[in-house]
Amino acid sequence: MTPTLTGTKKVVTGNHAVSYGAMLARVQVISAYPITPQTQIVELLSEMCANGTLRAKFIKVESEHSAMAALIGAASAGARAFTATSAHGLALMHEMLHWAAGARLPIVMADVNRAMGPPWSVWTDQNDSLSQRDVGWMQVYCESNQEVLDTVIQAYKVAEKVLMPAMLVLDAFVLSHTAEQIEIPNQTLVDQYLPPYQPVYKLDVNDPRSFGALAPPDVYMELRYKMHQAMEEALTEWAKADEEYYELFGRRYGLIEPYRADDADLILVTSGTVTSTAREVIDELRAEGRRVGLLKIRVLRPFPAQLVREALADAQKVAVIDRNISFGMGGIFAQEIKSALYNTHDRPPIFGFVAGLGGRDITPKVIQEIIEYTESHDEPEDLIWVGVKR
Amino acid sequence: MKKPIVFTSEREMPPMAVSLADMGHNRTGSWRYLRPVYREKIAPCKNACPVGNDIPRILSLVSEGRYEDAWRLFRETSPLPGVCGRVCYHPCESFCNRKNFDEALSIASLERFVADACFDLEDRIPERPKRSEKIAIVGSGPAGLTCAYFLAKDGYAVTVFEAASQPGGMLRLGIPPYRLPREVLDREIELIARWGVEFRTNTKIGQDISIEKLWEQHDAVFIATGAHRGRALNIPGEELAIQGLEFLKAVNVGKTIALGKQVLIIGGGNTAMDCARTALRLGAQPVVVYRRTRDEMPAIAEEIEEAEHEGVQFEFLAAPVALRRLNGKLEVQCIRMQLGEPDASGRRRPVPIPGSDFIMRADAVLKAVGEEPELSFLSEHVETSEGIVIERAHGILERAGIFIGGDAQTGPSTVAQAMRSGKETAQAIKSFLRGERKPKPKKLEEALRVNFSYFVHQPRVPMPHMPVAERITNFSETKRAISSERARAEAQRCFSCGVCNSCDNCWVFCPDAAITRIDGTYEVNYDFCKGCGVCAEECPRNVISLVEEEL
Amino acid sequence: MKNFTLPSEELMGSGHLGCQGCGGALAMRYALKAAGDNTIVVIPACCWTIIAGPFPYTSLKVPVLHTAFETAAVAASGVRAALDIQGNTETTVLAWAGDGGTFDIGLQSLSGAAERNENIIYICYDNEAYMNTGIQRSGATPYLAWTTTTPEKTPKAEPKKDIMAIMIAHRIPYAATATIAHPDDFIRKVQKAKSIYGTKFLHVLAPCPPGWKAPSEWAVKLSRLAVQTRVFPLYEVEDGERYILNEPKEDRALPVSEYLKLQGRFSHLTEKDIQAIQDLIDKRWQRLMRQVRESS
Repeated sequence: MTPTLTGTKKVVTGNHAVSYGAMLARVQVISAYPITPQTQIVELLSEMCANGTLRAKFIKVESEHSAMAALIGAASAGARAFTATSAHGLALMHEMLHWAAGARLPIVMADVNRAMGPPWSVWTDQNDSLSQRDVGWMQVYCESNQEVLDTVIQAYKVAEKVLMPAMLVLDAFVLSHTAEQIEIPNQTLVDQYLPPYQPVYKLDVNDPRSFGALAPPDVYMELRYKMHQAMEEALTEWAKADEEYYELFGRRYGLIEPYRADDADLILVTSGTVTSTAREVIDELRAEGRRVGLLKIRVLRPFPAQLVREALADAQKVAVIDRNISFGMGGIFAQEIKSALYNTHDRPPIFGFVAGLGGRDITPKVIQEIIEYTESHDEPEDLIWVGVKR
Repeated sequence: MKKPIVFTSEREMPPMAVSLADMGHNRTGSWRYLRPVYREKIAPCKNACPVGNDIPRILSLVSEGRYEDAWRLFRETSPLPGVCGRVCYHPCESFCNRKNFDEALSIASLERFVADACFDLEDRIPERPKRSEKIAIVGSGPAGLTCAYFLAKDGYAVTVFEAASQPGGMLRLGIPPYRLPREVLDREIELIARWGVEFRTNTKIGQDISIEKLWEQHDAVFIATGAHRGRALNIPGEELAIQGLEFLKAVNVGKTIALGKQVLIIGGGNTAMDCARTALRLGAQPVVVYRRTRDEMPAIAEEIEEAEHEGVQFEFLAAPVALRRLNGKLEVQCIRMQLGEPDASGRRRPVPIPGSDFIMRADAVLKAVGEEPELSFLSEHVETSEGIVIERAHGILERAGIFIGGDAQTGPSTVAQAMRSGKETAQAIKSFLRGERKPKPKKLEEALRVNFSYFVHQPRVPMPHMPVAERITNFSETKRAISSERARAEAQRCFSCGVCNSCDNCWVFCPDAAITRIDGTYEVNYDFCKGCGVCAEECPRNVISLVEEEL
Repeated sequence: MKNFTLPSEELMGSGHLGCQGCGGALAMRYALKAAGDNTIVVIPACCWTIIAGPFPYTSLKVPVLHTAFETAAVAASGVRAALDIQGNTETTVLAWAGDGGTFDIGLQSLSGAAERNENIIYICYDNEAYMNTGIQRSGATPYLAWTTTTPEKTPKAEPKKDIMAIMIAHRIPYAATATIAHPDDFIRKVQKAKSIYGTKFLHVLAPCPPGWKAPSEWAVKLSRLAVQTRVFPLYEVEDGERYILNEPKEDRALPVSEYLKLQGRFSHLTEKDIQAIQDLIDKRWQRLMRQVRESS
């Protein structure tokens, strides 16, 4: 690695980290609609387009639904396409999220996790992104601004390989509006990592084809099978992309990240910024000699079930913190983990905690209480509400 | 044909729903229950034309300024375009589809225009085998001339026998020169002669030569002697009246006739009109006396109009009952008529009103109440011992090789009908000589569904006439020729009913892109045509028919 | 003697799934003849979703992007942006939507695209109801027409939405009406649209024989009558200001009954109803004439 190819250090918010990631990925078409707390992403991208640091067409549409539709058009015509949204914006996109996935378009989007209304809330939780769990998008939950930036670039790498769209998720305000020092990677190296998008099939007058026509029952299911195959393949591709990224930039995140979990009796499972807080708590408890560990779920779709099984195989108990709720059932990450482990032998009991909805802080104390509750109870519970005033 | 794509494994499929082929495998022709077929139809004008002139094609040529080609096309169906363009009652115009849009095409004036424009042209007479069979045609009117022309074209040796000193029959003797200039008639007869037709004039059948003789000397005989015997009034003093046709013949061969000022013409047919207008030109003040009203007059409407226009007077619902000479004048006793129940002809029968007699005075009375054939030359021998019957439908005297046609068969009719008869007889004679049955005429579907959307309103070109004051002093042709520009403009008004003129509409409007253009013609791809019928509907000229698919 | 001068290139293939006498199919055939093979078509949910053929087939010889119901204009905007950024400003991007996708569900994204003056041609082939789903009323369904959701006892009580006025209000560089009965006019307008930068909108009346309850062979005839009766005048508007009338030129129009009486969807109308429709048409015509006069 020559010195000229090193990156630059910069203090940026999570939102701007997204913008830099998109810039470095050399996205060609951006289409977005403003929504708190995503606005800084598109503001900086507008600046970049205006001053020429990013050579892209930015379509300032009249809705998020249109933002995604525009990107579907753009990606179908062979462009690398990007957008960012949040909460209601993501919900409005719903139909087109299916469309992008079904059309196998490697669109990348940043979703700033924000609680859904009503009542209106601009603060973080994961219900917006998890409502889109089954649309066929890859979902990657980020913990830091650096990870946010790196994930944008990695997401294109994987998405364009397997032809599935990817959504990276960052917590509202906790990441989006919080500045951290990060490294902005060197463009030449990024270019080396992420060559231009070259789709096999695209809208091309020299090779005229139709895209997305009616599929009768005799072919529809195979196309769905292939989407699932692509998601399976994406598990390997994320690992490869992460390794390759590490070789060039010295950072990797894994699909999941176990933290001090090797000999842990109790493993706490988290996603997003709660992970950072949890790390502190684990370190403190470890210092006290308690055998507790942490498992960060970074990639939710495709779900790295095998990795999760292995990571949790030796735990005596598992506690899952969900900053989301599937009404009438419980935390969604907890369900995912339970279903991943159900068909294994000697599976640990799993405690499901729902905390921090609508941006309520998940403090070290809250996490410690969760660990202590788990430790002090023998029978697992599916849904334990944390901090609800009752 | 393309086959559908069948995937046997998901591995053969692309990752997304991207097309790999066109829809060529999907033969939508199976949806069809009506099949569009290009079926040219006969234009109503052509169907109405007694000689079958191919009017749409001829007018198409005229519209392009191709007058010679137009003339030659006329001559394929008729030897007398110059004559017909002037004297034909043009049923073609009555049936013209355009009359339902604005006004019928002025087909007659275009025929005349073409004939005039090509007056000096000659037929191209090809080398053709001479046939040994000899044919005698008795009478050189329109029936005889037409029959002669078509037989001669086929190489038969044709001799036409004519009682008068010049050929032409009723065309020359009956029709006044202000309607048909003699140089036009002479020229067209001359062109018929060029095909090898021999004319023997001043030879009257039954007088100068017998029918038996002709029969012996020829392989076939066509009797086309016309209808020259004027009908009688059957009233007292009838001998004081002059036969109208005889009057016309005399004038038409250049004899000077003094009628006086007051001339009454009895009758309402074409002969009556010709008599009236001729008398007018001789300085008389003619009055036509007709027993019914103007609406029932059998004369061609145009002739009546012209007569009125020129100043001929009419006395309708009046019939003569007696003629007398009184003080150097003629006194015609008439009775007033009224219209009763319709008779066999569909016209309302004139019924005398008792006691309504009145007197009209005149210097001369011309009777023009119809003519009939004079066939006394057909000897008893021919008629009886051979058992010959005049078979009216075909005009054939069976077995004998003697044919009859024209007015001689039907009684007085039109020039065009006489020509049709002559033409059909030519065909019948050919069949007879070859021992064949006469071919059945093909029944053609008429083009009646014109899509008016593709045409713009354009008034009919008026036929220019000589001013009345000028025309009643002489026998010059009253109608004048139209200009070349006007002729072309008029011809362009033709819808070309039933004739594909490569307008492309079917190709343009096919929602299934199932029609291919090949050098100005079209082909339906029945693999894909769904039978919607838009092509047939949008065909401006009814060329496409929709026929039911067989299940 | 040609009545029309259509480009011979055939970019819509046979075997497509349009019904007999489909006005929408004919409209596509003309549009592509005019636009040429350097064209990408974007099709939202509409009859053409079916007509274009199922996977793995296509009935068009140009690229087609099928997209969601409400997204024709914006998906086309995305295609345009992708082409532009890849240095291709020559290819025509043609959004091709039905009346539902234009007047109703797609109006927002169409308005957005028009406001941004996206360099696309947007053609609405208007068959005046949701035909593909089985003849339900749309904002384009005419006053008093029958549809399966406006039964004869309660036919559509509202007049057709004036989509041209809406588009003209966006001050787009070009908006025009066309029909399948006037192919030369149609093709000229598409070609004119092609030559102009920005959002171009064509409103095409595309009769649907099954939906209008009329014989298939009358598809073109009905379009022609729509113009002759002033139900659907042919006109163009440049920059939202300059109105140009194409047809009908005659001072006298055919009565609207000539158009209505051929269609089963209007068979329940009373004399009074017909007069009410005539009044609507007369009023709209007078307004159009005023606009033409004022801009000339």
